Amino acid sequence: MKSYKDTLAYKQIEFSTGLSLIYTGILLFAAFDFSPFTVRPLIMILASMNGVATVLQALLVLKIRKNSKKVLAINSTSRKLAGGLLLSLLIGNLFIVLSSLYLLKKKLTTGYIYAVYMVLTDLLVIGVSSLNLFKAYVTNSFIPFMFLLLFVLVFHLVVLAGYNRIEAMTGIIRKVFLLFFAATTLVGNLFVLFVMISLMQRTDSETKMTRRKGIREKIIRNQASMLGLLFIVFLVAISICSYWTFNYGFAVTNDYSNILQSPSLTYPFGTDNFGRDVFSRIVFGARISLTVGVLATVIPLLFGGALGAISGYYGRHTDNLIMRFLDVLYAIPGILLAITIVAAFGASTTNLIIALSIGYIPSYARTMRANVIQVTNLEYVEASRAIGNNHINIIWQHVIPNSLAPMIVRATLTIGSAIIATSSLSYLGLGVENYIPEWGNILRTGSEYLETEPYLAIYPGLAIIALVLSFNFLGDGLRDATDPRLS
Amino acid sequence: MKVETIIKQDQSFLQQLSRQYTKAFLSPYYRIGLMIFGFPFQVFILMVFLYKKYVKKQNGKISSEAKEALIQSGYDRELRAKLKKQEENKQAFFNKPLSEKETNKNVEKLFSIQFQQAVNEKAHEIYKQSNREKVTFLGQSLAFITNPKYFILSIILGFPMYALLIIHSFPFMKYLFERLLMMLFVILGVTIIVFTLLYFSPSDPARNIIGETATPAQIDNFRSMYGLDDPYIVQLWRTIKGVFTFDLGNAYSGNQAVVSTIMRRFPVTLELSIFALVIALIVALPAGIYSAVKANTMFDHVFMFIALVGLSIPSFWQGLIFILGFSIELGWLPATYNADNFASLIMPAVVLGTLLMASVARMTRSSTLEVVNEDYILTARSKGLSNRRVILRHAVPNALIPIVTIIGLQFGGVLGGAAVTEQVFNINGIGNYIVERQFIPDIPSVLGGVIYVAIVLSIVNVFIDMLYAFIDPRIRTNLKKY
Repeated sequence: MKSYKDTLAYKQIEFSTGLSLIYTGILLFAAFDFSPFTVRPLIMILASMNGVATVLQALLVLKIRKNSKKVLAINSTSRKLAGGLLLSLLIGNLFIVLSSLYLLKKKLTTGYIYAVYMVLTDLLVIGVSSLNLFKAYVTNSFIPFMFLLLFVLVFHLVVLAGYNRIEAMTGIIRKVFLLFFAATTLVGNLFVLFVMISLMQRTDSETKMTRRKGIREKIIRNQASMLGLLFIVFLVAISICSYWTFNYGFAVTNDYSNILQSPSLTYPFGTDNFGRDVFSRIVFGARISLTVGVLATVIPLLFGGALGAISGYYGRHTDNLIMRFLDVLYAIPGILLAITIVAAFGASTTNLIIALSIGYIPSYARTMRANVIQVTNLEYVEASRAIGNNHINIIWQHVIPNSLAPMIVRATLTIGSAIIATSSLSYLGLGVENYIPEWGNILRTGSEYLETEPYLAIYPGLAIIALVLSFNFLGDGLRDATDPRLS
Repeated sequence: MKVETIIKQDQSFLQQLSRQYTKAFLSPYYRIGLMIFGFPFQVFILMVFLYKKYVKKQNGKISSEAKEALIQSGYDRELRAKLKKQEENKQAFFNKPLSEKETNKNVEKLFSIQFQQAVNEKAHEIYKQSNREKVTFLGQSLAFITNPKYFILSIILGFPMYALLIIHSFPFMKYLFERLLMMLFVILGVTIIVFTLLYFSPSDPARNIIGETATPAQIDNFRSMYGLDDPYIVQLWRTIKGVFTFDLGNAYSGNQAVVSTIMRRFPVTLELSIFALVIALIVALPAGIYSAVKANTMFDHVFMFIALVGLSIPSFWQGLIFILGFSIELGWLPATYNADNFASLIMPAVVLGTLLMASVARMTRSSTLEVVNEDYILTARSKGLSNRRVILRHAVPNALIPIVTIIGLQFGGVLGGAAVTEQVFNINGIGNYIVERQFIPDIPSVLGGVIYVAIVLSIVNVFIDMLYAFIDPRIRTNLKKY
């Protein structure tokens, strides 16, 4: 029997309750100073308010669970309570906001869910950017850009609130609206694109036919991977917005009057041995980690994919030749190959990307080859060959599109390990040039003050873990979404 | 199968040998091996064979006879007409008519192939009828081997050939031999790639080591001392020879022999890696199995989350946090490695093994989950076996293959990751050595370090391939037919 407990909204509120509990616990931990034992009153108040919100949320879960035995929908009291819990936005608990927004909608659609995440990303970007207000001064573009962000937020809120009405729009208004909406992607909020696709697809699915669900529609069922996606999109957005809202000077200019400050509102993660703001450095470092990670994934994806496809499709001697060559490359551990290349050509970001890319080629080629061999033996490829299609066309039209899914999953998982490898090499002094605020470089400075100022090493490390974990969550979610056995 | 064993028993030693010889001769790579290892004997066979074929003309004109016979029976005209009809049908179907000339060209191409086949078949028939045997190189070799007198001659002339034959006749040995041969090529390839990368480095070692103030005479002296003036091929050959004879010359700075330094440092890394592997397996296997048994419970979710965090944690950061927690705050474990203190190995090994631990745990869980849904598990349960026995005796052994694979794949990561971990804990291992030398940059040391790590990794991979045969009876059976 189908019950409300099986719906997406119920799973989401359970998930959110757990996360909210963890969030409260972390705040509670941060509220105490252990040596000497004191309590930070402000954080304590925040933690206790979060605790109250979490308890209310838990009660809501229990109530819904009890009601769900009778009806498939939730009643209006639960909905009102969820509406009230939206206030937890003020105490920074985005998890409860997320599940409340789910509950407030009677009929959840893919587009609406992505719209929720879109608004959350806006909120996160605005929240993090506004930490700059506590600094001595801000960049000239800070205030106009913040107004722009607020305007975008309001616009996105309108989309969220009136999602059904927007979906129903027709004619020229719809086109103008969609164009305007698409323009807001420029602040880096990639969720806008997902919402766009959902809005566009509406016209295609008028026929009410049950269509096979795409990856975009399947992945919303996996809360952890959506959370990962949220963090990744947030980092992309903040990397773009930081051009206007963050002051690069704080991250790179030495300020000897402010060295090794402990975390405060002005310097959320403290300052390092040159008086540079670690928080700004981490924000600017996101850009480099993301770029290097993505490039060191896309380049081997293309080369490895091509080699694997050729090798798998043509087989025999071509296969033997290519795979034996890649075996050789595979025998050298990636990090040592990178060290060799850096030793030969010097440490720089470009060399680092090339070095990492070469190391990843064999594993991509193997994955692609295995898929291509499987696809090549299928009937439709044989049919295509029988009607006289040439090899290149067959590879482009049939083989590659049908063997891409595992490659995408692998790519997502590789971005994570590429980010780790980048920061590891930077930590060794072999990666990104040491004057650039990259996470590994920040950590290297921090590791020298491990005994006295451990936060210098802890925060950049947490940033790396959060990003890599997000990619791993997303990769796991993608794998489940593309696995035909699970759908 | 049964027939074959009977034949085997009835055959004499020499007949069995000739059977093995035929098998080896039919695979092209072993044929080349036989030619090379038994060279004097093969030359002898060749001479006898050529004598019989061209001087005594024992083969006669059988194939031309066969051709004549086929043409007389009108087979060629029939075949050509059939092929032409086929070609025309094909063109009509695809609606792509070709010119008369091209059609004929296609037909001729097919015709020559198929006609030759028919001729060969006919020739074979004639041989059979006339009860003669075609003189072939293989036939001549076999005739010699089965004859005891010539057999002794062949041992004298080409005994290494028989060593190859022995390897070829035992499937497991043959597999190992081929695997080792492949490893040799991989090592050769690794040497070439690493050397080439370092050779085309734009920086000048002489200036790096002696300094910017070096006089031209000093530079020339340095370059001739390390043979840097030689052309690429000469240097490459010297490096390849050096890798196999364990003599890569002296390092640029410190004036120590590269290989002896590497040999001194390697045991530390190896000890660390093996310890990391052991810790990883001790934790990951039981936890992964338990997660699979209790799939979708709280333990499963929490443990898999921890495993995912383990995959996402940079090892150097983990090392720093461990030092901060266990050495600085709690004071339980020493922060730096000391060969005499076993406790100082625990933290580096855990850090180095984390990635392996996480991936093995995830793989164990998923492969066990896949196995527990098989029918034979249901059978085992229905026989009334205890849950413990079903899992440990029936499920886990069958789930081991992917786990062994992931260990093999990740061990490279462990050996490479040692470079970072050793830096954090200040261990004098090979990884630390490569990183240190890289800054100079001391080319021979980096080259030697990377190549020998790759060699160790290749040996580990051979070992893992052998392990497959050990744990999976299906692979063992396949190997027998190999």
